[in-house]
Amino acid sequence: MEGRHPSIQNQGPIEENGQAIRLAVKDNISALGFSTTCASNILAGNNIPFEATIVRQLRQRGSTVTGKAGMDEFGMGTHSTTSAFENIHNVCGLEKYSAGGSSGGSAVAVRKGEAELALGTDTGGSVRMPAAYTGTVGFKPSYGMLSRWGVVPYANSLDTVGILSRTVGPIGAAIIGQNLYLEHDPNDPTSLPSHVRQRCAAERRGYDSWNPGQNGTIQGLTFGIPIEYNIEELDPRIRQGWLTVAQKVEELGGRIVPVSLTSTKNALSAYYVIAPAEASSNLAKYDGIRYGQRNREQASDSFEGILYGKTRETGFGSEVKRRILLGSYTLSSEAMDNYFIQAQKVRRLVRRDFDRVFKLSNPLEDQQPFDLSDMEDTVYLENKFGPAQVDFLLCPTAPTTPPLLEDVMRQTPLDSYMNDVFTVPASLAGLPAISVPMDIPVDPSDEEQKLLSFGGMQLIGQYWDDARLLSVADVLAPHILQQTLF
Amino acid sequence: MWSTTLWSSQVRAVHTETTSPLLNNTPSPVHVPLRKQLKDEAKKQKALGKKKKKNVNNQVVDGWELTVGIEIHAQLNTARKLFSPATTSFNDDPNSHVAYFDLATPGSQPLFQKETLIPALRAALALNCDIQNVSRFDRKHYFHWDQPSGYQITQYYEPFARDGRILLQARDGIAAEDGDGISVGIKQIQMEQDTAKTLAQPGDVHWIDFNRVGLPLIEIITLPDIHYPATAAALVRKIQALLNATDSCVLGMEAGGLRADVNVSVRRTDDPSTPLGQRTEIKNLSSFKAVEDAIIAERDRQISVLESGGKVESETRGWSIGSTETRRLRGKEGEVDYRYMPDPDLAPVIIDNDLVNHLRDGMGELPDAEIDELIQRFELTPKDALSLVTLDGGNRVEYFWNVVDLLARRFGPNATSPEYLSGYQLAANWILHELGRLTSGRSEDDAQDLGFTEDGQCDRVPAKHLVDILLYLHQRKINAKVAKELLWAVFRRRIPDEYATIETVLDEEQLWFDELNEDEYIKLALEAAEGQEEVVKQFINYKQFPQGKLMFLVGRMIRLGAEERIDPKEAEKVMKRVLEETLVPAIRN
Repeated sequence: MEGRHPSIQNQGPIEENGQAIRLAVKDNISALGFSTTCASNILAGNNIPFEATIVRQLRQRGSTVTGKAGMDEFGMGTHSTTSAFENIHNVCGLEKYSAGGSSGGSAVAVRKGEAELALGTDTGGSVRMPAAYTGTVGFKPSYGMLSRWGVVPYANSLDTVGILSRTVGPIGAAIIGQNLYLEHDPNDPTSLPSHVRQRCAAERRGYDSWNPGQNGTIQGLTFGIPIEYNIEELDPRIRQGWLTVAQKVEELGGRIVPVSLTSTKNALSAYYVIAPAEASSNLAKYDGIRYGQRNREQASDSFEGILYGKTRETGFGSEVKRRILLGSYTLSSEAMDNYFIQAQKVRRLVRRDFDRVFKLSNPLEDQQPFDLSDMEDTVYLENKFGPAQVDFLLCPTAPTTPPLLEDVMRQTPLDSYMNDVFTVPASLAGLPAISVPMDIPVDPSDEEQKLLSFGGMQLIGQYWDDARLLSVADVLAPHILQQTLF
Repeated sequence: MWSTTLWSSQVRAVHTETTSPLLNNTPSPVHVPLRKQLKDEAKKQKALGKKKKKNVNNQVVDGWELTVGIEIHAQLNTARKLFSPATTSFNDDPNSHVAYFDLATPGSQPLFQKETLIPALRAALALNCDIQNVSRFDRKHYFHWDQPSGYQITQYYEPFARDGRILLQARDGIAAEDGDGISVGIKQIQMEQDTAKTLAQPGDVHWIDFNRVGLPLIEIITLPDIHYPATAAALVRKIQALLNATDSCVLGMEAGGLRADVNVSVRRTDDPSTPLGQRTEIKNLSSFKAVEDAIIAERDRQISVLESGGKVESETRGWSIGSTETRRLRGKEGEVDYRYMPDPDLAPVIIDNDLVNHLRDGMGELPDAEIDELIQRFELTPKDALSLVTLDGGNRVEYFWNVVDLLARRFGPNATSPEYLSGYQLAANWILHELGRLTSGRSEDDAQDLGFTEDGQCDRVPAKHLVDILLYLHQRKINAKVAKELLWAVFRRRIPDEYATIETVLDEEQLWFDELNEDEYIKLALEAAEGQEEVVKQFINYKQFPQGKLMFLVGRMIRLGAEERIDPKEAEKVMKRVLEETLVPAIRN
């Protein structure tokens, strides 16, 4: 690998076959014939000798891989600005703005029309965030649905393969219509076994066929508005867009109720303990010896040199090093109990919060009653039986419209971590979530507002309710985006 | 950059040293064949002009109590690695059994090979552990070139077996101070990955063989219940025997399949309320003797530090075979924080009680029960019984049982009657000692062994040949000398290469024992005593029977006569009688 790494690395002419779906693959997912660098110097030119299961599955279903898409280094970032090879930016008039991260290259490829489908990875919002910033659709499936074999891990317990497209249709067609949801991968120990898939699907609706017209009706469904998500930092235009979507849902026969997810305020902190902890462990393997790049300046293991000290020093970028250090600290014997263990407890609370608000139970958990006395005072009780239960949660994907890249560069890492506040809870709970573009109010006198006329609306479903989530998103999408982005 | 090469037979060895080069620049220990270690040791001792001290009690130091806990790492006998379907190998070409995951190839994931549980569970059952229905795998982080993922997968928080116990008896070689026996607690047993093998090359070059990386190990952690060095060695020896007997681990310490780390502390005995002293850890001991010697040396070092007013530091120490002192590897400041983290890719291991019960039912006889049987049935000494059971990973005793079966068939319907007891004892004696002589000190290569197999066959000395020899010897159809020569002929494959059977040799070479008759013996005895009046006089009015003189006369008998027709025992009997009945009375008169 030499020089710049374009956001799309083309390999020959795209087949002019009308049937072929062009597929862009995030550069942390292996596709034979392409290098897999994770946008890191330490893996520059690296070829993974086997193909990711998801790439093989999509190729078998008629996709053609057109190239690898740029990203934040090892998926660590919110704006796709931590790549070792390029600065990814938004497109179609928004070049000065962030494309979101970490799957920014995948979103851009879809937005520019270079690919009908793009694969990303979503650990804490890395598919949904760039979808929201580029006006595309980004889907994060239930944890364990799509195989991670051939996907370079960032934080295994959170990592999912996500799919981006301009509309929900092609995603639903692949996941449900082409039965991706059904395929267990024996190479991935976290891929749900076939019998569990069947059991889960049997408890759900919408898996028989990809038929959003029938399965996606809003009529009679309940949508929850998590009150904790109405944060101070929320851009007023995004808040207005959210309210407008809620009105649309009611117009379409859905019901809107406020819900409380009390552990939300701790979810972001828990995420930024767990993800770096796993990352520090996963990234320990990069020593430049068996694959990837090796810094030969001080490559010896002699007394002065450490075998891979220099390689890791020059091979990783600053955000990656930051998270490795953070993770190494929270796992250290003196900090473990106060950070890693606490974060895991918060993670359980987050999942419990979700299980409490959804009508459907979590098929991976034993059904548990929720004692009203255990609930915080802020929880709205609908009646004497407790708070309302919902089919889906409705909330923004990102608190703001895409920021200017020059502002991003001035941000502290903490500022950019804040962006993930709405996406991280679903990741911690392993739930399916999708971001679809929505209109937001525009002041016609404000040139920037005219450019940034959309936001990302996020729908979150109960575990393995992916089929219904996709159908509902497909039905809702045209109602909440009146403008033509493409 | 990364070179590998073909290299000749190398034994895979458990590597438990986890010294990070970042903290300690000593290269990872290279496996030195045990034989070489022992030789070096002997040389050292010789150079020092030392003789082995005998009968000095080095088990106890007055006024001090020693406390020892042991961690044993053993390679499990499995077909596949712990987390990849790559096959396990022993002496195959380097880097020929390596899956993507074994190399930490990005995008690859661990696939727990559940069959590896079977030998691990057998080991845990043999050590009387409680099998945990749920256990989990954790990552232990440290950087070393032999650990490609930057962490070892082990079971730190929730091991699969806990609270075991092992009973050591006097015959196991425990210290006399422990009396008839002692029970040592097993804190836990965990499964974990082995590391790659480093092959040091000249000029600061290391070759790495990833065939070994990811092989399944168990780590057995005892409670600090041991107070004498010999007992520690006996414990490791016994655990090895148990692992062998249950087929959990096939390679013993001498083959590098087992390694021990010992934790040693001392405290004064005057006040029983004092807590245990500060402990130190000695890593990577590769023989039973090293376990005992290292503990003695470390105990003595700690005592002298304390007696001179110093303080024992928490540190990790090393031991070389033949040395007299442990050496410091790293102190507390150099400790690695392993940052144990549950492996997020690996599901908990769920072990059903049915499986545990099934394995427990199929365990077969454990060594202690077998030793008891050998002692009771054949009246073997405890020492011989123990040796028989322990040698060749339990294969030798299987061979013994096969020989016993064949002998019994030849002895006929009364094979269990006492008159044949000496026949079985002869078999035990030969299988232990005469067979041992065939290989001892003859070959540099340990691989030139007798070739015992698990089902009790012996490649170099097939049981049917040995049974022929033993039977004829027991029936006095051949003499001991011929019997031993026949054994060598079998060992060298002259039987069956040159002679089809034992009988063929005996017939063709006329080696059947054509013993002298009574008259011929007497005649020979008289002949041997001729001109030996001074010697014969010793047999008149002696204080103690002059056995030496008797044997001198017997020796003369054998030299004068046809050696192959004389049974020395019979010759001795006759000579004694001739002296008493003929020669002595003749002189008296």
